[in-house]
This record gives sequence, structure tokens and C-alpha cells, in this order.
Amino acid sequence: MALIFVRTAIIFITLLIIMRLMGKSQIGEMQPFEFVITLLIAELACIPMADSSIPLMYGVVSIVAMFILHQIVWLLDLWFRPMKAIICGRPSLVITREGIDEYQLKKNNLDVSDLIESMRAAGYFNLDDVYYGLYEANGSFSALEKEQKTNSLAVTLIDSGRLNKHNLETCGITRDALDDFLKEQHAKMKSVLVMTVDGNGRVYFQRRGRPYKILEIEAAEKW
Amino acid sequence: MVKSITLTLAAIILCIAFFIFVEWYLNREFNAFYEAVDCLYDKTEEMTATREDADAVRALWADKRSKLHIFIPHNDISYVDYRLNEALSLIYTNDFSEALSNLEIVRQMAKNLPDNYTLKLENIF
Repeated sequence: MALIFVRTAIIFITLLIIMRLMGKSQIGEMQPFEFVITLLIAELACIPMADSSIPLMYGVVSIVAMFILHQIVWLLDLWFRPMKAIICGRPSLVITREGIDEYQLKKNNLDVSDLIESMRAAGYFNLDDVYYGLYEANGSFSALEKEQKTNSLAVTLIDSGRLNKHNLETCGITRDALDDFLKEQHAKMKSVLVMTVDGNGRVYFQRRGRPYKILEIEAAEKW
Repeated sequence: MVKSITLTLAAIILCIAFFIFVEWYLNREFNAFYEAVDCLYDKTEEMTATREDADAVRALWADKRSKLHIFIPHNDISYVDYRLNEALSLIYTNDFSEALSNLEIVRQMAKNLPDNYTLKLENIF
């Protein structure tokens, strides 16, 4: 039985490390160790229940092991601050007053489209709607919103140096017009971290390693 | 907070006590079974084993098996069952030489099975 306990602990620790390495994209509204426990408990309960060749006691011991590990992690969390950061991670500030922090995004295995999706889920439809945006340790998105939000949906034209042709058509912007716009900004497509346009022709433009700018572009269609 | 710590410590202590008990219990039960099989093996080797001796070992194993099911995988128990039944049926027909090979397997299983559940590096990984 001690064997089952130790094996459970090893799997728990391995999963916890992997979940931490995977970054915030794999977690939803839970601390990494809570996520691991949820993931394991269901399996641990099911296998001895369904497979009659395994004594039920194995499932019981594994679940009790999970309970003890949960309590230990929780106590470590409470008592040692550095341990909390190691086990649960830290919030990541991904939007600052200078724009998107690409390094923080990469560190959490996220990209600009993930960020935009999280923002939309949180009720912000434009990158310019917030002063600060951050991913909490549990993977949820929080933001300090601006006093006045834009009233139009922004679509992404360039995401990490890649052009979204479908959105370009939606905006009614020609490729030539976009190239001219980039030329005006002395920017190459590859060097652009993000470029979004809203229905009023308002552009959120940020080159890699530079602060963002709010510009205007002539859009043929308003949406 | 104090309640949580107490609960955690109580769970850890109970677990450790339970693990020690299981280890001791498995060793005790398998040792007793090993001794019975070993005795039957000696008698079979001397060709003096009787149906009563075989039945006694079967009854002993049946008694232990019902409790061992709680702690060890049922497949391991079935394997002992299979080999033991084969050995006993050969003793019933006085086929001692064939019975010996099966009893040797049962004897080795009774000796080695508890080791499969102890906390050892090879068992963990």
C-alpha cells in the first residue's frame, strides 16, 4: 500500500511540474495543483471501480494520498511565499501602458490571438480598451479597463508577423493599402507584433519590442 | 487552520500505520502459507502426501485468500489458485513428480509475492 502512495505522489508531482511548464494556457480557473488533483481523482476513482482485478483498497489509498498531497501543497502555499510562486506560479502582466509584452506571452506559451480571445471573453473587444491586462496564476484574465471603451469590434490584420487575409477582406482594406500603411510606419510585416483595425478605421499597431501606437487607416467598409 | 493541520497529520499517521500493518499482515499470511506448502512439498517429495494433507493446504489458502483479496491484485491470487489446484489434483492421483513442479512454483510465489508490494525502487518504477 505504501507503494501505491509513493506511486501516486510521483505521478502527482510529475503532472504538477508538467502543468506548470505548460503555462497558463492549459489551466482554467484553477490553481495548477487543483487542476492536477481534479485530473487524477476521477481516474483514481474510476479504475478500481470498473476493473474488478484491482482491489478497491488501491483506489481508496490513492485518493487518500491525493488528499494528503493537496493538504501539504496548500500548507506550503500558506507558509512559504517562494513555494507559492513555484507551485502555483505568478500572475503575468501581458499588457502594459506600452502595449503587449510578447516575452510574458511566450513565457506562458500563449500568443497574441490567445490574448485577444481572453480579452473578448473578459468583455474587451479592443486591445486599446485596457491600461493593464494580466493572466492570474490560475490562468484567468484580469484587466484594468480604460474609462472609455471603444464601441467597435477590432479585427486582427497582423498577428505575430502573419497577415490574416480573411480579416483584411472583412475590413475592406486592399493589400496595397496595407503595404502603403506599413511603408509609412517604416515597418516590415514580419516585425509587426500586432495590428488590429476597428470599424472606425482605428488601428492598434505594435512592432516587436516597441510601444504600441494608435493610428488611422482608410477602411472601405464599416462594421 | 489548526483543524486542517491536525486533519493532515492524522491522515498521515493513519496512512503510515496502515502501510506498516499491511506490510506485516502480508508477510505473516504468506509466511504461514509458505510453511504449509513447504511441508506438503516435503511430503510429496517423500511420496507420503495424502488427500487430507492436500485438503488442509487448500483450506488454509481459502481462508487466507478471502482476506488477501483486499490488499493484493486479484490476478495474483488467481495465479496461485491455479497452480495450487493443479498440484493438489496431481497429489489426489498420486502423480507426485508432476505435483512437485507445481508445488515448487506455488512455494516460490508464496515466498516472493509479498516482495512485489513492498516499497522498493524496482516496484515503484
